[in-house]
Amino acid sequence: MTSKERVLSTLNFTNTQERIPRQLWSLPWAQEHCPEMMERLSRDFEWDFDGPDTVLKEQPVTKGDAYAVGEYVDEWGCIFTNIHRGVIGEVKQPIVEDDDWDDVGRVHIPEELLSFDIDQVNRSCEQKQGKFLFASCCPRPFEQLQFIRGTANLYMDLMDPPPKLLEFMKRMHDFYSRLMEKWAKTEVDSLNMMDDWGSQNDLLINPQLWDEYFGPMYRDYIDIAHQNGKKIFMHSDGNILRIIPKLIDLGLDAVNSQLFCMGLENLAPYKGKITFWGEIDRQHLLPRGTTADIDQAVESVYRTLWQDGGCIAQCEFGPGANPENVYRVYQAWEKIRNK
Amino acid sequence: MSILSEISENLQRGKAKIVKELVQQAIDEGIPAQDILEKGLLAGMDVVGDRFKKNEVFVPEVLVAARAMNMGTTLLKPLLAESGVEAAGKVCIGTVKGDLHDIGKNLVKMMMEGKGLEVVDLGTDVAPETYVKTAIEQNCQIICCSALLTTTMPVMGEVVKEAEKAGIRDKVKIMIGGAPVTEAFCQQIGADKYTTDAASAADAAVEFCRGMA
Repeated sequence: MTSKERVLSTLNFTNTQERIPRQLWSLPWAQEHCPEMMERLSRDFEWDFDGPDTVLKEQPVTKGDAYAVGEYVDEWGCIFTNIHRGVIGEVKQPIVEDDDWDDVGRVHIPEELLSFDIDQVNRSCEQKQGKFLFASCCPRPFEQLQFIRGTANLYMDLMDPPPKLLEFMKRMHDFYSRLMEKWAKTEVDSLNMMDDWGSQNDLLINPQLWDEYFGPMYRDYIDIAHQNGKKIFMHSDGNILRIIPKLIDLGLDAVNSQLFCMGLENLAPYKGKITFWGEIDRQHLLPRGTTADIDQAVESVYRTLWQDGGCIAQCEFGPGANPENVYRVYQAWEKIRNK
Repeated sequence: MSILSEISENLQRGKAKIVKELVQQAIDEGIPAQDILEKGLLAGMDVVGDRFKKNEVFVPEVLVAARAMNMGTTLLKPLLAESGVEAAGKVCIGTVKGDLHDIGKNLVKMMMEGKGLEVVDLGTDVAPETYVKTAIEQNCQIICCSALLTTTMPVMGEVVKEAEKAGIRDKVKIMIGGAPVTEAFCQQIGADKYTTDAASAADAAVEFCRGMA
């Protein structure tokens, strides 16, 4: 069985024999601070996910390095301040400062990201045949709006949205939809999207606001994927228990979220309905857990959420993680199912 | 409905302009500033804080309520100062060195202000010495430290040590919070209080200030 077949059978809940698919998320920090472990991980495990090399005919304008100390300006013109090499910074200066969004003209919608050639992408997909391939795009409407406006400002705006914000959200969604449509025409296996929706305890915003403004956007992206025969994955940090059933209803195939912050037992009802794309607790277990803790955590995820599919072995190798624990995560998953 | 109840109701709905108008009206009617603050603005924030603790309202609702409260307190501040009304306590707050995340810290600040506490906001990336220096210079009863990253949590322990070194550990309470922080960590570093959410942090701070008065 190829990686692609393994991932598909897991997403379709028909993986009765094969090992659990795996993917490592590593921040540049990991390569800089733990190159030996990165080398060991890449040598000792076969990874199932990849993505095509993508050439843009027009380059979006960015300034600086997203992972370097200092200032970075992203494709939309949002300004990030970073004090740690190897991780991404924080937006401290919004580009839309006006409460009525009168200065929204400062935002650049990065149409350049649409300038890839489908044939070039498909040739790259062919070279990586056998792997499960992700598109190189990732709509994040809620987070991008925060980067544009500042988190607190955006939250307040959403309570009584000015017309120009709503107008901009439509334009942003139109852009993301066109981007997803174009990627859905390539030979990748899945589209993906992200937005951090949870605090440690609950959703960041009222679920009614989520239903009104953001759920419909995700529904459109999911529909685009499925209408084109693709799967679709989503990442969302925090406690997102309230929206997991909504995402299942929308048809999302796989979600990456902080399982341990939500409590595995609370996720048990969703076993067999969605695939949990990782994780293993990076707040407590990866930095400070023992190897026995890691084994137990992996075993609990498998026991609670696996049903001939529905789990992907994944964790994030970032600042604070004990490298041995990261390695142990994949060892523990392999012990469970090693074909 | 009394004007003070109206202030509270509108604050809960985040109607900043209406709150400001009603506060001005209450001042013009000769209602004491302290009553407007406590029975109008703070009463409204109390309801918001309780509902936030129960996960009935979310961060945006708290933010717009706090914005409305600030509009009202701006009008009241000179009057409160004139009549010698003092805050329920004084707190300095910041996100620890190496960490630029501030949403959690800002929420705690708003909730504490909503309890009538005076809060000195040190911002983000705050060194342990800065917390302690501020607490000494501004007579703060409480130091509040926030962290989102597992890598910056240990700085909270340095704040505790710095307070010990400066000889103020018995005069200030040290509160900690943030996504990766736990009760066990609080005990391990010798801080005084960990709370799981902003509203509980404000409640705990008020209790500390009462106990230290």
